[in-house]
Amino acid sequence: MEVVLHLPVVPNVELVAAKAVETVGGALGMHQTGIEATSVAIVEACLNAMEHGGGQMVVRMSAEDSNGKPSLVIEVEDQGGGFDPTESPRNSATRVHGCTSKRGWGLTLIRELMDEVQIRSNPGMTLVRMRKYVENAP
Amino acid sequence: MNDEQMRLSKNVMADGYGLIAAAGYINNEGGQAIADAATDLISNGCGTLLIDLDGTRIINSIGVSILLEIMEKLLEDKGQLAFCNLTPTISKTFEIMGLVQYATIYPDRETAQTDLVGDLSV
Repeated sequence: MEVVLHLPVVPNVELVAAKAVETVGGALGMHQTGIEATSVAIVEACLNAMEHGGGQMVVRMSAEDSNGKPSLVIEVEDQGGGFDPTESPRNSATRVHGCTSKRGWGLTLIRELMDEVQIRSNPGMTLVRMRKYVENAP
Repeated sequence: MNDEQMRLSKNVMADGYGLIAAAGYINNEGGQAIADAATDLISNGCGTLLIDLDGTRIINSIGVSILLEIMEKLLEDKGQLAFCNLTPTISKTFEIMGLVQYATIYPDRETAQTDLVGDLSV
């Protein structure tokens, strides 16, 4: 099973990706909590792609077995200027109160909510690849 | 995606206690709608706010960052912020982003109201 979405930069387009997660995750037998966590992660990845990507983004979803366990793999790709993933912010809950800027939580949420996350970024292409295991699949 | 359109109501429930019920997508617009309702209740003397998120299934970090600003405003005035009816993922997101350090989380509205202001039906 594979789903590919070419998404333009328009308000709330990230919800199209979230709706696809709901459909594909449900078809795979993913628990509702897993679907919702994956939906928040893909929303954050799409928001980052829209903010930094410089145009249309591509979202791919596929079912994969990893070590004998079924999973949903999602890739969000943009054509922006890129960044160094090792330099990306890893926010901490302890720095919230009194902090002037409350933005920049996207990658932190993605890393916390998904089971595996890989980021490849070069000038002209950033790819966020994330996996969520279908824990209650038959 | 109509079910993600923010539906919001606000009420002064008792002296100094305000309730906001918000269902829908908490993005920048949804978060701002909640913040506007909170500002209105605070200006009407509500130092304790309960935000009921029954019906909210999806949020983003921009929306939550606006909720953090409400929390700071209440804390500056020695007020209190509480939430109820959170999905497990929204609860975890609040935990990751530090909101639960300063706000109280209740499983449902009845439990929250009893703890915050006592039984309103009496």
